[in-house]
Amino acid sequence: MTLSLVLSLLALALVRGTPILLASLGGVLSERAGIVNIALEGEMTAGAFAAALISFFTRDPWIGAIGGVAVGAAVGFALGFAATRWRVDQIVAGMGINLICTGGAAFGLIFVFNQAGVTPQVPAINQALWAMVVLGIVLAAALQWVLSRTPIGLRLRACGENPHAARAAGIDPLAVRLYASAIAGALAGLGGVFLALGELNLYSDGMIAGRGFIALAAVIFGRWTPLGAAGVALIFGLLEALQFALQGNIAWLPSDFLQALPYIAALIALLGASGRYRPPAAEGKPYP
Amino acid sequence: MKRESVRALTIGTLGVAAAMSLAMLASHVSPILGFNAFFYGAFGGKQQIAETLASTTALLFPALGIAIAFRAGLFNIGAEGQLLIGGLLAGWLGTRIDVPPALAITAIFLAGALGGALWGAIAGWLKAARGANEVISTLMLNFIAASLALYLVTGPLRAPDAAGPELSLLPHAYWLPTLLSQTRATIALPIALLAALALRYVLDRTWFGYRLRAAGEAPEAARRAGISLSKVALWAMAWSGALAGMGGAALVAGELHRFNTQLSPGYGFIAIAVALVGGLEPLAICVAALAFGALESGGLALQAAAAVPKDAIHVIEGLLVFALAARRYLGAKGAAAQ
Repeated sequence: MTLSLVLSLLALALVRGTPILLASLGGVLSERAGIVNIALEGEMTAGAFAAALISFFTRDPWIGAIGGVAVGAAVGFALGFAATRWRVDQIVAGMGINLICTGGAAFGLIFVFNQAGVTPQVPAINQALWAMVVLGIVLAAALQWVLSRTPIGLRLRACGENPHAARAAGIDPLAVRLYASAIAGALAGLGGVFLALGELNLYSDGMIAGRGFIALAAVIFGRWTPLGAAGVALIFGLLEALQFALQGNIAWLPSDFLQALPYIAALIALLGASGRYRPPAAEGKPYP
Repeated sequence: MKRESVRALTIGTLGVAAAMSLAMLASHVSPILGFNAFFYGAFGGKQQIAETLASTTALLFPALGIAIAFRAGLFNIGAEGQLLIGGLLAGWLGTRIDVPPALAITAIFLAGALGGALWGAIAGWLKAARGANEVISTLMLNFIAASLALYLVTGPLRAPDAAGPELSLLPHAYWLPTLLSQTRATIALPIALLAALALRYVLDRTWFGYRLRAAGEAPEAARRAGISLSKVALWAMAWSGALAGMGGAALVAGELHRFNTQLSPGYGFIAIAVALVGGLEPLAICVAALAFGALESGGLALQAAAAVPKDAIHVIEGLLVFALAARRYLGAKGAAAQ
């Protein structure tokens, strides 16, 4: 009885944590290359909306999933392009992208489906939910290995720490940052696909609900490492799952407090883990 | 104005107009009718101008607050939560006091400022004492503020006359006087403009403003010059929150006349765009707030007249942010061409 309860809690934690995990991996990748990624929220929104839209018209959820990832990548590419070629302030560009994506999705709902707030039900890949959970964890491990153990990872990190030195070593920091940002967008888009087609079978306004920003928090708490960020993302998932499990079971605890639980926990963690964060040295700084 | 800023502004405006035309065409609306509806909705008459000014005010307070934090190098994305807590304290105090209206309105604004300042100061203290990243802390505090407000108004502060998650109505005498009768444009706007003037003076002409800018622009140099970065972080976040909280108080006393947890449809987030478009300069932010206020009210009219959803306006706002962010590049290209 208790064991099955714990198991179902952990299962829920994995499901709630995976979209955050996927986006946070994107965040790690782009930030280690030197691009601050405030736009994860918008990239997740774009991925989720595009996935539902494409799945609706093709009636093939797999094409929808691929389309969602591709659109996320395109948004990430746009951020990377603006940050490298136009040298815009990355935080400003990210905020702009978030506005464009959330507004664009809401507009698209009216424009395509002629109804506000939510798409009709679309073909989904709910059967692949657990495969995507596993994929997320495998991706975290793979990215950790790539970043810390391979020449590509070393080059990417060099662009985030000291792009001038990277340039001197024959690396093109602009190209690396651009592609890192695009792949980051693809990962965040996959997080959106997970929500729209994995857990549910539709897109609704506000369904991302700040997960992109939580993923950003996971990046920082995870100290810019893929496994660290993934771990923190899953802890956020666990706290969310706990909130469901405790709801109504503890009379003296107001439910609003339970809703705030993940965020209060994050604040307390900030108190305890101070001064141990060092972002990539050249993060957010335009090159050259 | 410099040649390149004119150029960037022209490109930005044309880009936005083109995007809006495309959106209208996509919705099978003639752009001429659409723009007509848009401008009528934003400036077409007393009521429309008042709506624009009301949106301007709601955006201006948090945008000024955000500018303080950003100038100090602190990425405060918690204006939404600070606005909410400020509004909560203001709305609570407004139903509890019995004094002359002028005094009450002053007290309501001060309560809003205090609430926002306290909420902002939490993030400031975490930064100062523990070096905690303010992006995370202000973000988390937004979520916590929403839960806290909901808990308080449905629990301990529950009002007998509340129809939703809200406090009691303020006494009629405490409602902010309107600038234009029978509209939502209130004296909160001149108060916000005064705050912008004061902020410009403080940032440019005072020792506090100097330390704040030094900490933001060259933290290491500021530290070596004996400026305490911790103190700057704490006070910048507190003042930042205070202005956002005053925005909450203005919404409570000027528009809803009570506190409601749905007080702000994301003003604290749009205000980030306003502050950035205004280049973090208080007076430019006033102009940006007016532009965004017009977009908000014109967008509503566009939705009613031409079935272009209001959210399309967020796309426009995002493009505006993007265009202005890219102005250095566009300006540099312009200079190179000459």
